[in-house]
Amino acid sequence: MNEVMETVGIFFGYAVLALFAQNAIFTRALGVSRLVQLTGDNRTSSLLFGVLLCVTQVLLAPLAWYLGGLAGRLGLGASARPLVYVGCIALVCLAEHLVLQLTNLPRKDQLLRILPLAALNSCVLGTVLITRTQAFTLTQSVGFGLGSGLGYILAVMLVTEAQTRLSNSQTIPSAFRGLPILLIYIGILALAIYGFTGHTVIL
Amino acid sequence: MKQSKAEWILTKPDQFTHRHRIFINNPVMMQGMGLAPLVVLATSGKNALMLAVAAALLLTPSRLLACLLSKPLPLSEHGGSDELENRLLFRGLIYCLSAAVVYLAVYPLLEGWFGTDLLTLGIYLPLLTVEPLLIYRFGRVQEPPRKALVKGLRTTAGYALVLLLVGCVRELLAYGTVFGFQAADFAPLPVAALPAGGFILLGVLCAVWRALVRKYKDFLVAEARNQVLANHQKEANREG
Repeated sequence: MNEVMETVGIFFGYAVLALFAQNAIFTRALGVSRLVQLTGDNRTSSLLFGVLLCVTQVLLAPLAWYLGGLAGRLGLGASARPLVYVGCIALVCLAEHLVLQLTNLPRKDQLLRILPLAALNSCVLGTVLITRTQAFTLTQSVGFGLGSGLGYILAVMLVTEAQTRLSNSQTIPSAFRGLPILLIYIGILALAIYGFTGHTVIL
Repeated sequence: MKQSKAEWILTKPDQFTHRHRIFINNPVMMQGMGLAPLVVLATSGKNALMLAVAAALLLTPSRLLACLLSKPLPLSEHGGSDELENRLLFRGLIYCLSAAVVYLAVYPLLEGWFGTDLLTLGIYLPLLTVEPLLIYRFGRVQEPPRKALVKGLRTTAGYALVLLLVGCVRELLAYGTVFGFQAADFAPLPVAALPAGGFILLGVLCAVWRALVRKYKDFLVAEARNQVLANHQKEANREG
């Protein structure tokens, strides 16, 4: 019983860590290019994008943990790391694509269009690379993957809301409208997070 | 300015500006691509140089390889949603896997040139394989290989320029040095070395860049208009 509670504790501990203290966007800028493009894209739902990314992260974590460990034991060096992990992402993506094709989920068309954008993202690959370089256990990896995905959703919602308000503001100088003010806004939010947690990026 | 260029600027301004990936349509400053390594790692001239070399070795070859491999799955200009649903994921995977394959050859070269310094790039070096800067073409209309080569080189030049600019400015502000050489007696803005400082500084640089681009575009249009008018005047004088 104690072991189960300990595992659950570790899982949620790492999820919370990835959600706030090591938020993918605010502390590591993972997936920020896609986030910036997403805020200007009216055809793509930010929430669906975030949810798909989160599902991909959770499904990917155990597969990447196992195959990453196997690649390490087989002696594949740092040069093969992206190939191994992009291969893992490909397997997860294809499975998700198949499920979406076979089921009749609402907004299926949009989900199929968003899936590659959400999965082929530096937040997804970055998270599995962090779990690998920091030698996380399986529980820690899945918890960190879930937290990272939820953290991305949180960042997407915060930035999308800000973009809506900032784009209507006449007080912002014209040169700062659009991407510049969005980057400054993300920077200020990141500073606020450092206020709570301090900051050291573990590469 | 030549007459043909002047007419091109006046009749198809978007097409003209789209081609200029170094300044007018820089991939970072105008489209927000390649931000992650720039914000977190371009904190010094040396880091920026390593990233620029890595991007230079990866970007064009992977784009060319992906362009050739994705030929059987082209996206057309007026393709419907079926085309997107069935091809987008596979095209995306081709682009990412192509970059990962090119990375296999590039990594030993970088390791040979930069040695253990390469470790300072951490996860951001392998992350280049899924950066929108390298793979954004998967969601666009299929391009011919020659165009992929030329555009890849232009995009690389634009990205490398911004990397070096941001790296040097951040090093100067955060440590008072440029490429390790003392340039100021004090560090005016230590926060520039942190990702938060990177976001804020990049936002400010981006605003300045965009303002300059706007001025330059206005200047080009005025120049083109004057050129066309002057040529019409000359022709009228000749006929008269």
